[in-house]
Formats: sequence, structure tokens, C-alpha cells
Amino acid sequence: MEKQTSPYKWGMVIDLDRCTGCGACVVACQAENNVGICEKKEISEGRNMHWLRIERFWLGEYPDVRVRFLPVMCQHCHDAPCEPVCPVYASYHNPDGLNGQVYVRCVGTRYCGNNCPYAVRVFNFYPHEWPKPLDNQLSPDVTVRSRGVMEKCSFCIQRIRRAKEEATAEGRLVRDGEVQPACAQTCPSEAMTFGNLADLRSRAARLARSPRRFHLLEHLGTHPSVIYLKGGGREHV
Amino acid sequence: MEILGIFRDIESAAKAVAGLVRVGFTEDQIDSLTSVPYPEGALVRTKQSSWFRWLALTGGLSGALAGFVLVAGTASLYPVQTGDKPIIAIYPTAIICFEVGMLFAIIGTMVGMFLEMGLPALNKRVYDPAVAEGCIGISLTIHGGGRCGALHAGSSD
Amino acid sequence: MSDAEVTVKSATRVNDELLSSLRPPTLAWYLLAFFLGVVVACGLAAFTWQMMNGMYVTGKNRPVMWGFYITGFVFWVGLSHSGTMVSSILRLSRANWRRPILRAAEAMTVFSITVAGLFPLIHLGRNWTFFYMIPYPNQRGLWPNFRSPLLWDMTAITAYIIGSSLFLYLGLLPDLAVVRDRTTGWRHKMYAVLAMGWRGSAHEWSVYHKASTLMAALIIPVAVSVHSIVAWDFAVTVVPGWHSTIFPPYFVIGAILSGVAAVITLMITIRKVFHLEDYLTPLHFDNMGKLLLVISLLWTYAYFVEVQITWYAHEPIEWEVFSFLSSRYTPQLLIMLVGNSLLPIIFLCFKKLRRSIGVMLVVSLWVNVAMFIERFLIIVPTLSHKNMPFAWGSYSPSLVETLVNLGALAGFVLLFILFAKFFPIVAISDVRELDVRKAEVPMGRTRVPSIAEKE
Repeated sequence: MEKQTSPYKWGMVIDLDRCTGCGACVVACQAENNVGICEKKEISEGRNMHWLRIERFWLGEYPDVRVRFLPVMCQHCHDAPCEPVCPVYASYHNPDGLNGQVYVRCVGTRYCGNNCPYAVRVFNFYPHEWPKPLDNQLSPDVTVRSRGVMEKCSFCIQRIRRAKEEATAEGRLVRDGEVQPACAQTCPSEAMTFGNLADLRSRAARLARSPRRFHLLEHLGTHPSVIYLKGGGREHV
Repeated sequence: MEILGIFRDIESAAKAVAGLVRVGFTEDQIDSLTSVPYPEGALVRTKQSSWFRWLALTGGLSGALAGFVLVAGTASLYPVQTGDKPIIAIYPTAIICFEVGMLFAIIGTMVGMFLEMGLPALNKRVYDPAVAEGCIGISLTIHGGGRCGALHAGSSD
Repeated sequence: MSDAEVTVKSATRVNDELLSSLRPPTLAWYLLAFFLGVVVACGLAAFTWQMMNGMYVTGKNRPVMWGFYITGFVFWVGLSHSGTMVSSILRLSRANWRRPILRAAEAMTVFSITVAGLFPLIHLGRNWTFFYMIPYPNQRGLWPNFRSPLLWDMTAITAYIIGSSLFLYLGLLPDLAVVRDRTTGWRHKMYAVLAMGWRGSAHEWSVYHKASTLMAALIIPVAVSVHSIVAWDFAVTVVPGWHSTIFPPYFVIGAILSGVAAVITLMITIRKVFHLEDYLTPLHFDNMGKLLLVISLLWTYAYFVEVQITWYAHEPIEWEVFSFLSSRYTPQLLIMLVGNSLLPIIFLCFKKLRRSIGVMLVVSLWVNVAMFIERFLIIVPTLSHKNMPFAWGSYSPSLVETLVNLGALAGFVLLFILFAKFFPIVAISDVRELDVRKAEVPMGRTRVPSIAEKE
């Protein structure tokens, strides 16, 4: 059985030398994808629902303290450990290179969450509600998940679908820069670039060829679609 | 027809069997009913070969095939890409084939055993509840036109 | 004549004593059943509470997404190895001391795997959609994912439940005939149906013997594969600390340890409750104690190997898991090591202690407590400290999870006492077979016991 092919291979390039750790991407993701609003109790129990988290590391001693920021979202691995372990195919690989999560199919065994080395999968332990008038802010293109279901960053697949539909209607491929996930769109320092890595002339593909590139947890061989850039060799903020 | 004699211990039961054989009945007309198995030949001789194990083997092989159809068949009906793994992956297929094969082999053993024993019996056969209390029953099967006179020799209470 | 009469009487007496558990239930039995029923009901209530409200009632979080339920699952699957290993191995090796033990061990297997099979349904986030995991043609056209170890779990546990139930039934068959012959009324009808018209003819016994041997041989690979598959739930992941090839054999050894200890506990209990002192003698405990000692040594070896190679290579992520385990869960780790290694190895080396019922009870109970902790320590600390330090967490079991686990334990005991009420708890024909074949033979200046063997 041959693998299905596609002209798209979506990827994200995150430039850590540009990231200021402002957290705007996290808020944008929450707004765009109907991510559950968590109370303080939930978060203190370790059950926050952030699809995208900014990891913050302090280095050095006062007065020579530095901080590093690392935005981590679903890496959309090409050899994703979370996909084969789902007993019901709720987690699967789509031909565009995305790791898909089918909310209605998920039975909630949470095996995928355990097997994800990046710990980017979140589980709806609590039922999340949007009391009126907050329900007006819900994005109509995105499912509102019930409790007991796993979820994670989808590279704003609803935006990708919309762009692909428009492109197909016009008989062309999606143009570079036409689709931007909420996080990349919002980042004030343009640290995040999303694009089609199969199109070698796209901005994302060009940035991904930078000598500053690295993958997270590369030794695990998950082949993530997220490429990080960081000036190598020197400790600088 | 079948006639049953009940004996309190093995020695008198064995004497009865020897007596029946001496009078002229054949080994396969004589059967023992006991609540514990006695060593082969202590009372009667049994057939040494049995065929139910072929049923177990058939079960095992058909189970392995069923397992293969389950894994490979269902995966091909609706192929979904997960990880970098092939749609029909070797190790999961082997594992499921093994499990289902063993399950069918076990079921085949039980079914084959009951079939070979002839249980549950369709027609009523002689039995006495004293057998469960440790007595030994010796049964004699006589087909139509047998020698009724020999019945009294060797049977006692 | 007097010898013959003694033989027949003793058979009846044996039947009476071994079937004493089938008497109409006493007040004590009803009280026990009621108490167990209450605990089961609490467990059910806790589960219903969880299903109505959400998984937040458990202690799980990100990253520790599996906790007490999967601990319970692995523990009960391990316990289910009691019957198969003890029964099959002793049958195939023709050990005569197995006879009074088999039935209880086989029954334990069936009930513990049944209890174990409930946990994968309990731990689901959306329990009501569990049928997505069952392969049946449906309107969605979707089938479950057989590449997932959880589906291997489902297949293996189904095979094992059916296999071990059939194994138990096979062992019961001659005894069902004995009980059938001693009862009247609705009970007689029930046993008559179950006994399938067994008469005990020589042909039936011959086929039965071959079938028992074949079943014992078939059930062992199934048992080993079931627990290997449960071990693969962990070993095939990329989680550091789980991704280890020792897991399947280690789990199987742990299961046999757990199972043998549970059989010993059970033997002590039924011996006391049903007054089976003549049948479960210190010899039986001596031999089971030797078995427990050997398995405990094997487990100690496997655990030592696992920790030693992690310590020596000192890969940061792998060592971090063990270092976190030993600092956060120190008392639990110590209880586990004492219960699984220290106590069995020290005490069971001495014949006098093996034959002491009190010592065996303490050792066997502690082994099972230690095994539950061992499952916990495999699952939770490893998940707490995975690859990304920013996402480290911790876990404490909640009341709901504890109640469900207690309910499962009570359910197991309840099933067992119900079984003992309706079916002989000791294999009658097996025990009496030995009596029939035993003889005292003069040899030299003394008389020695001699046993007539089948070919």
C-alpha cells in the first residue's frame, strides 16, 4: 500500500533569537481554537489546556542572569509516537504531513499523551464551558471539545482547509504566506514562520535551511515538522 | 443393552472383569465407571490413540488465519497512516495471529474432547450415583441376540 | 472385606469434607457477602461519579496520564498468572503435591483476569464510546487500530478469559459429576447440565487425561503472551524508563511471583475456613514456599539488572527517572524491596518457616502489597519525569481511584466466595486419585510410600 502523497508538507520555523517570550501566540491560539479556559485550581493540578506553551529557562547567577524562551507546540512528527498507539485511529497522519486529532473518535485512553515525548498533548479532564456572553468568542470553524477527549495544536488546520478550498476553487496551489496559524500571525517579532516545506522557494523552507537550525529531541527520530533556529556556539539572549 | 454391576473395591471389580473375559465377552464390550482414573489395564483396556487433537490443530491454524484476516483485512479496508508504520505491520499481525490461533486451538481442544467422548450423550446410559462415593461400576454392553445366561456370572452387589 | 469397606467409607468421607463449602450458606457467609457487596457498590458509585463528572476526580494530570487504574490493571493481569503457572506447570511436571491446590489457583485466574478486564473500560475518558475499540462492521466503515498495543491487550485478554475459563471448567468436569450425584432438585439439574453426562468410563478418562495435558500445554504460552503484551503497552513507547527490552520477561516473572503468593494466601484462607487441614498440609506450603523463593530470586535478579544498567550507563533522562523515584517515593520503594526480595529470600530458605502457616501468610500478603507498589512505581515516576523538564509533574491517587481499586478487590473476593459456594474448591477426583494409587511397600527394614503412575 503506497503512502498517499500531497504537494504540501506543512512546517513551522521558530526563530528563538527573535522570540521575546511575550506569550501573545499562546493567547491567539486559545482564542482561535476554542481552547478551554482553565481556573487556577485546574492549572495548579497540572491540567492546563495550553496547546502552545512558552518554556522559560533561567541561566546564570545574579547579576549575570539570562533567560531563554522556547515555544513548544505539537511538532507534527513524521514518525509520530502518538499515532500508532491510539486504539481507535483518533490520532493519524494526514498526507499533508500534519498529525491529525479526530475529537469525535477519541475514547480517551490517553496513551498518545503518554507517548508524546514533547508532552504537547492535553486532555480534557474538566468539562470546559463558555458562560454567556463568552460563547460569542467561539471560533465557528473549530469543534468545541467535550470532556474526556485529547487535543493538541493542529497548525490551525481550519485555516489550512479554508485556504486549500479557496485555492482549489481557483485551480491553483496555496500560495506561500496565504495561510498562517494564529500564533504565527500574532507574533509581534515575527519569530514564527509557517509554510510549505515541500515548496523549496517558500519563506519557511528557506529559513529551514539555515545553519542555525535544530530539532527538539532529535535523537528520538520523530522527524518533527517544527524547526527551531538559534545562534549556535554563543550564550546570548 | 447395557448392564451395570457395582463393586466396592478394585480387586473384586477386577475379578469380575476377568470372569467376564473368561466366559467369552470381548474387551470392548466391558467398560468401567469410576470417579477416579485407574491406571491403564487395571480394569479395562482403552484405545490408545485419539483423534481430538487434530481438531485442536485445525482450530489453531484456522485461528491464525482468522487473526490475519482480522488485522490485515480490516487495515486494508480503511487504511489510515499512523507514524511511519506500514498499513499491514509485521509484528502486530504476528501477535494477533498467535493470540487468536491459540484461542481457537483451546476451543478446538474442548470441542474435540467432548466430541470424542460422545458427550452429552444422546440416549440414556446406565449409571449409579454410588460410583461418586468411590464404588466401581463395571458395565457390560450386549448387542441384540447376546448370551443372557452369562449375565449372572461375576456380577454381585 | 474390612479393607474394602475402609476404602469406600474414606471416599465418602473425602467427598463430605471437600464438599463442605457447598453446604447452604451460613449467617457468616451472608454477612461476608453483604460486606463485600457494599465495598463493590462503593467502587461502582465512585466510578459512576467519575463517569458523570469527568476524569478530574482522579489524580491524573499532564504528564502523568495513567495512574491507579492502569496500576490496578497490570496488577490484576499479573495475579491471573497464578492459576496457569501453578496449575499447568505442576500438572505437566506431574508433581503430586499439586492436587489440593489446583482448583483454587485456576478459579483465581479466571476471576482476576475478569477484574483486570474491567480496568481498560474504567480508565477511558469517554467510557460510553468504548465500543469503538471492538472490531465490527459499522456504518463509519472504521476499524480499530491493531497496531496499537491496547488492541493486542484486548485480543489477548479475551483469549485468556475464554481459555482460562475453559481450563477451569475442564478441571471441574469430573467433580461436577460427583456433586451432581449427591444433590437433588434444582441443584441436581444445574450440575447435570454442566457435567454433560459424564460417567467416568475408562474411555472418557483416557480422553480427558490427554485433553488436560494438551490444555495445560496450550494455556502456558497464552499466559506468557498476555503479560508480555501488557508489558509492551509500556515497552514499545519512547518514554525513557519504559522503553526497555527487559519489560516482558520482568513482568511475567513479577506476575508469577504475585500469583504464587496469592495462591498461598488463598490456600491458607480456605484451609482455615473449610477445615481442610488434612488436605493442605505443611508439605504443600513447604513446596509452594520453595516455588515462591525461586521466583522471588528471579524477580530480584531482574530488578537488579534493570537498575544496574541504568546506573552504569547513567544516561541523564533514564537515570533521572530512577533518581526521582527513589527520592519522592522512598518508603514505597523500601516496602517493595522488603516484600518482594528480602522477606521471601531470608525466610523461605528455612524449612521450618516454610511450614509455618503464620510466616507464609505474612510473606505472601506482603509480596502482593509490594507487587502493587511495584506496578505503581513503574508507571507513575516514569511518566512524571519525561523528556521535557518544563513539563514534569507528579501524581497522587484520589479517593475515587482508591475506591474503585478496593471495589475491584472486593469484587474478586466476592466472585471467589460465590464460586466456593457452588463448586468444589478442591479438586476431589484429583485428590482421591492419589489415595487410590498410593500404597505402602516394604523395602528393606522399613515401609515406604509408593505411588502408581500413569505411563
